[in-house]
Amino acid sequence: MIEITDSEICLDELIKRARRDDAGAVVTFLGTVRDDEDCGLEHLEVEAFREAAIAELQAIREEAMSRFGLKAAEVVHRTGTLAVGESIVAIVCSAGHREEAFSGCRYIIEQLKSRAPLWKKEISETGERWVGGA
Amino acid sequence: MRVKVIAFAGFREILGKERELDVKEAATVKELLQVLAAGSPRFREEAFEESGAVRDYVLLMVNRKRIDPQQDLSRALVDGDELAVFPPLAGG
Repeated sequence: MIEITDSEICLDELIKRARRDDAGAVVTFLGTVRDDEDCGLEHLEVEAFREAAIAELQAIREEAMSRFGLKAAEVVHRTGTLAVGESIVAIVCSAGHREEAFSGCRYIIEQLKSRAPLWKKEISETGERWVGGA
Repeated sequence: MRVKVIAFAGFREILGKERELDVKEAATVKELLQVLAAGSPRFREEAFEESGAVRDYVLLMVNRKRIDPQQDLSRALVDGDELAVFPPLAGG
């Protein structure tokens, strides 16, 4: 399942959805709001081109499912205002064995970062800036 | 003809989230960007080089499909098309 949400991510719920009787491995990835040293980050604003991002994440999920023989793959990305330490993205992959589950999880996060239309704005003591762009 | 422009992140702050524009028949993607630039000096500065070329970090979708910002700027739009304008992606 793919989700883009303003609500807090519940990892336990995703793990529950990804469990399968024939899966011997469940790998989770959580991306969290990082305050780099001396940055003084106050919070992060996350924005999505929602319809296009869901379509892209669905495509990425299907690629991972078939490429690594995953049993399940759950992807949730936050939007809105996030505090330091909060989860921005969660990916949970289940597979018969750990190699496929790790590979599938890594594939999804790497592809998400390069293909999904999502943006982050850092608001810090010294001002604000869009990560990576205009 | 009428087309829709939607913008995200820094470009949303300059152009607004969504607007509809009347443009000449078969206007190209670049011509639409030039119309936007004519109405917003800040957008012109952010999106165009001094030479008039579209900056590398301007990313575009037509009807939710990514287009090549160098190859497809001459693509003709049709009535009802949606152009999305945004900076490099930064999810995750």
